[in-house]
Amino acid sequence: MPPRRQQTKVLCVAEKPSIAKAVASHLGGGQVNTHNTGNRYVKNYVFQYNFPAWGECEVTMTSVLGHLVSRDFESRYNNWRACDPSALFEAPIQTYIQDDLKPIAENIKSQARFAKYLYIWTDCDREGENIGDEIRQEALKGNASLSQPNRIFRARFSNIERAHIINAACNPVTLDDAQANAVYSRIELDLRIGACFTRNLTLSVQPLFHQHFGNREQGLISYGSCQFPTLGFVVERYLRVRNFVPETFWTIKVMHEKEDIKVNFRWARNHLFDRMPAVILFERCLAARIARVTKVQTKPTSKWKPLPLTTVELQKCGSRFLYMDSSRVMTVAESLYTKGWISYPRTETDQFDGGMDLRALVQKQTQGGPWAGLAQALMNGGFSAPRNGRNNDKAHPPIHPVNFVEPTQLDAQERSVYEFVVRRFLACCSEDARGSKTDISILYGTETFNASGLVVLARNYLDVYKYDRWTSSQVLPDFQEGEVFEPTEARIQDGKTSPPGYLTEPELIALMDANGIGTDATMAEHILKIKERNYAWVQPRGRRPQGNDGDDEAESGGEAPPAANATRGRRGRGGARGRGGRGGGVEGPGRGATTGVQEFIPTTLGVALVEGYENMGFEISLTKPFLRKEMELKMKAICDGQRTKAEVVHETIEQYRDVYVRTQQRLNVLRDAVRKYCLGPIEAHNG
Amino acid sequence: MASQRQYAATPAMASGNAEDVAASISAFLASKHVPPTQAWMNGFMSTIRLNTPIVALQKTALFRLLATDITTSITKSPASCFAANITDPQVKEKHVRGPITVQVLDIEDIGRSRWSQVEAIEAQERGETTKGREVIRVVPDENSSDAATQTESKSSGPHKLLLQDAYGMHVYAMELTPINGVGVQMAIGAKLVLKDFIVARGVLLLEPRNVEMLGGKADTWDKKWREDRKKVLKEKAA
Repeated sequence: MPPRRQQTKVLCVAEKPSIAKAVASHLGGGQVNTHNTGNRYVKNYVFQYNFPAWGECEVTMTSVLGHLVSRDFESRYNNWRACDPSALFEAPIQTYIQDDLKPIAENIKSQARFAKYLYIWTDCDREGENIGDEIRQEALKGNASLSQPNRIFRARFSNIERAHIINAACNPVTLDDAQANAVYSRIELDLRIGACFTRNLTLSVQPLFHQHFGNREQGLISYGSCQFPTLGFVVERYLRVRNFVPETFWTIKVMHEKEDIKVNFRWARNHLFDRMPAVILFERCLAARIARVTKVQTKPTSKWKPLPLTTVELQKCGSRFLYMDSSRVMTVAESLYTKGWISYPRTETDQFDGGMDLRALVQKQTQGGPWAGLAQALMNGGFSAPRNGRNNDKAHPPIHPVNFVEPTQLDAQERSVYEFVVRRFLACCSEDARGSKTDISILYGTETFNASGLVVLARNYLDVYKYDRWTSSQVLPDFQEGEVFEPTEARIQDGKTSPPGYLTEPELIALMDANGIGTDATMAEHILKIKERNYAWVQPRGRRPQGNDGDDEAESGGEAPPAANATRGRRGRGGARGRGGRGGGVEGPGRGATTGVQEFIPTTLGVALVEGYENMGFEISLTKPFLRKEMELKMKAICDGQRTKAEVVHETIEQYRDVYVRTQQRLNVLRDAVRKYCLGPIEAHNG
Repeated sequence: MASQRQYAATPAMASGNAEDVAASISAFLASKHVPPTQAWMNGFMSTIRLNTPIVALQKTALFRLLATDITTSITKSPASCFAANITDPQVKEKHVRGPITVQVLDIEDIGRSRWSQVEAIEAQERGETTKGREVIRVVPDENSSDAATQTESKSSGPHKLLLQDAYGMHVYAMELTPINGVGVQMAIGAKLVLKDFIVARGVLLLEPRNVEMLGGKADTWDKKWREDRKKVLKEKAA
């Protein structure tokens, strides 16, 4: 074996210190030497490893803290009044490394000096490819010879489990430049468009606040191409609820008692919103006196087990069942992933690859936890192949438990998320629930009425997946087709329509998903943003604002948080954010512990902005999803190699420039909306 | 002259005789249950060239007649109009043979709340139904067993119609089962021929077998109806 000094050196760089540590311990066995770097969170782990392609090597495993590089306009553009905001569409962008991250960049440069190979271990998604490119560029500064072919590689991994990591280590691939470029284009677009529109918006609207209230409390008013459509959904629902007019409807109910069972029949027309026709039809039913059974059908029915778990589903279910908002759920899930308990939680894939050994994963869950017995039952013959959804992002499998961990070893929130992931996975491997459904139709006069009964025969997956419900209804008596009877009771009843609820987080996520805005990775961030920027806040469901004045009291004047320098457009995994768990969102008025369903209420500023932009005309549509959706589709096209970054950036900038010009012509519309909603008489403002 | 009476089985070209042509057209229109008044026929005859093929003239006449207000353009008789007491709510049930020709003055979808219809119109006005820019506002919740509120906004019908006969009498009608062509997109002023139907408490109950859709439209009424629709729906909801 060659002496250490002449051994091949490999530099591995992960996205976060925790990943670096975990991978180092798996590959290095017990023999890992730890060294400090210029940054107190980042360590260099040194160990020996025998790579199939490179032989016995000395490995240095280190990490970054998310994005290394920051982007901003040249300083001459910093003065908002010195240039028209639209100049930012073309202004040169400079890249630089922030002071606190300089030691990390230095570390990579210096470690690269002696390395023959650079092996990138960032998380396997688009942001990861982009961060990988940043790392590559830094490494090349320290060692230009790395630019030779076959020197820079990338590890492909979906979880931090030992065997999986070792397998990944032995099968390097290359960085996907297309994905990195998709992210570069998104960064550039967010920076240019965000900065331009934020300046424009703030310059147009902020003076109104300063003048009206006589102080400078109103901070900047920021714009984001995804936050605005997200806010749009919240405001639209809010206005729907507030403008709702309840209406009376009439329905006919028929009840017949047979074999001591009271069967309720539902009108096929459901209900009518006009009294006269309803009464006339009811009278004709009574005149007919006798009802005839027209259909009796009993057939097997099933309640399908859930689909394999995606990020969007996890966020929705987190809100509904675990009482955690989407950001919190993702933070906890990331932590479980880093510790090696579950697979990578950012995925759109809802089908398990045929080659995966799912039984082995089920086997691991027989070791303990409240689901051990159910897992064992699956091993003993109850196992059934999971359903396949329609999505496969080709990067990661659906979220699933990778290892068993005793729930008591986790904190409360981790336990709750881990349990959900396990139960969901076991449910995927169970059978559908089976039952028998009977449908009966009767003709009474000219009107048809229906009744149905359900008998649940086998609960199957429902035993492990306690988040779904399916219960037997009352047993129906026997009816025969052609049978006639005089209904025990028939009556006409009225009711009133009621407004929908304000948007809950799962609904908002579902709307963002259905309208194609936000990717699995970013949805939670956009939702967090509109809260941070005081465009909306959350309250527990059931507390309705009292009349029209309730809103004015609740809103806080739409102040922007002090940290905002919106021209930066720093991405979620830059800097401090990447380091550890974020808190559970911003404290807004009325937001206490997260228990029960939370609903979104826009602030008056939020309503003013959405209404203002809507009133400018629908071709502008900054609060509608389609502009952002088109952008997301173009990002995807870059990843697929169908379009280039330059094309997409140019095209999108032109699209938004067009919108910018139109908004410039109609700013008074926006100001009117702000006056209407935010600038009430001074006495009403609580200061 | 014998040829002057042979208007039933006419050759392709009109005979050129105004009287014969007019008679032929009138008979055709009567067979379609829209017998024209003399005044209307005179007006029509003044616009045509007599040597146009008779079938084309008949079609044109029908088309134009269907665009008129039948209270002034077609002949009235007790047999072709509603009886005076037809709207009497005291009469539980009555059977009418017809055929009675009516025009549609108003139509309402009574299966959906008016407010949800207002919301649908507003969404369209905001451009949310434009191709390529659709905004999905309601996502079906697969766990929700209560389909009632979800499907409500999508249902169509039954419809309640306000009909008018040639005498000008107003009568309400309701679709018992869906009738092809009847819906809120139908033209105001469209003409229908009703046969063999029941009137219950003054409201006509109609099924496909009772209704022959002649079509047609009254442009100004239709335009006004569509413009006012949102306002009218809002008023009715409140």
